[in-house]
Amino acid sequence: MSARIRSDQRKLPSEMRPFYCSSALLSRSDGSVRFKSGDSSVLCSVFGPMEVKIRDEKLDKATVEVVFKAAAGNSTTKERLYERVIRETLEASILTALHPRSAIRITLQVLTDDGGILSTALNAATLALVDAGIALRSLPAGVTCMIDQEGVLLLDPTILELEAARSTHMFVFDNISDGALSNISTGSFSMDEYTSCYDTCFSAVAAVQQLFRSSVEGKVRREHGPEADA
Amino acid sequence: MALAGQSQPNAARKILIPGDRIPLVPDAAHQSKEGPLKVRVGPGLQQEQGDLVAVKAGVLKQAGGSKYWMDGSQKRYVPAASDPVLGTVTARQGESFRVDIGSAHPAALSILAFEGATRRNRPNLDVGSLVYCRLSVANKDMEPELECVDPATGKAGGYGELKGGFVVKCSLRMARGYVNACSPWNRRLVLITLNYSLLNPKNPIVTILAESISFELAVGLNGRVWINAKSCAEVIAVAKVIQACDGAAASDINKLINHELRRLEDAMDTS
Repeated sequence: MSARIRSDQRKLPSEMRPFYCSSALLSRSDGSVRFKSGDSSVLCSVFGPMEVKIRDEKLDKATVEVVFKAAAGNSTTKERLYERVIRETLEASILTALHPRSAIRITLQVLTDDGGILSTALNAATLALVDAGIALRSLPAGVTCMIDQEGVLLLDPTILELEAARSTHMFVFDNISDGALSNISTGSFSMDEYTSCYDTCFSAVAAVQQLFRSSVEGKVRREHGPEADA
Repeated sequence: MALAGQSQPNAARKILIPGDRIPLVPDAAHQSKEGPLKVRVGPGLQQEQGDLVAVKAGVLKQAGGSKYWMDGSQKRYVPAASDPVLGTVTARQGESFRVDIGSAHPAALSILAFEGATRRNRPNLDVGSLVYCRLSVANKDMEPELECVDPATGKAGGYGELKGGFVVKCSLRMARGYVNACSPWNRRLVLITLNYSLLNPKNPIVTILAESISFELAVGLNGRVWINAKSCAEVIAVAKVIQACDGAAASDINKLINHELRRLEDAMDTS
């Protein structure tokens, strides 16, 4: 009947790809998580609180370091921008004052990139921080959406869909407040388009938060055995 | 048994994730008293405008009516005063040794913090030697300080250099003891938590192993366990059991131990 809007199996413009995560994959890091959103997947490992380089030492709080590695090729300005967005977003949630003069290192390795890699990486980093037992004020979760040439809003676009994007938007929300934690928007868009992107992402993030809760609860339940529900 | 009290299974045991708020419901004992509600907040929780907020994932625990803390697991050790830890000497610095205890900062072990040590009679520890000690100072803004004496008696009390043997790592949760936190009428829960607390001498892992192997064990709350036994095969068997039981379900522990003991018997037969 209608022309296919999405490039993959999805039927609706406001439909997210299936996502899941698996934690504690790496034996040597303090926390590790692989987060998959459709065909985009990112492996994140967290070390810390650990020794900090004298150059980066902060006397009253921990230094958060983020390393973002693309699936292939050298690190470019795009990766540096991603590192900065993720670091500044997570710094707001990590209780850095609890560990002065130490470092918290977050390493993100893209395994496969099929669009929305920044929000996938941010979600992986949040869960890896929880896995590492680092004190967090809240859990930030990211969602990406785009507006194509015809003005149709597509949630969680694939790399194919992003090629026809007029603007792309990434919003981060947490589980304790109603406002956005951070936002990156590129391209040209009107104020109305921006607000509709904001609203779409805000309602979509609930599913990500739901996954955060179920995966963390599952991990705690595995470790504690029947005692956890008693 | 300072922590033993009436714990409320429904309100007190619950899985929380960072950002979850805990409504403080004063129990009957507190409501009858006059004055504001007093709550003691342990690790993994923070106070925010009269509410408690979880900052780590885990199970919320409550004891004594007003003590709350989060029971979660992590691998990185954060020093806490009076914790027994296992560390390796990394350097000698005049009046003290620098010891790696797995935390963000290296700890200092004074040469006078040993039993019977004086300026003349100083302990001789080489770089690389393993020490079992207790944290005397643990503050986020200061470097951690260690001592190898029991402050109450002035005796070594088991602390000091550990010679021979083998060190394995385990999760902090496995190393930590939970017994004091459970109330006496909750025995069933105590038995389950016991599986994870290596520091407790009645720990099933330790007791079952001790029936067939004689070994020495020193457990550091920084997630390091030192094992010594007569033969290497026995040390390896104990080490493998400890690593296999880490994070395993309580019901699997017997099976894992028996499996490892059978392998040890086979190894003994062929040698």
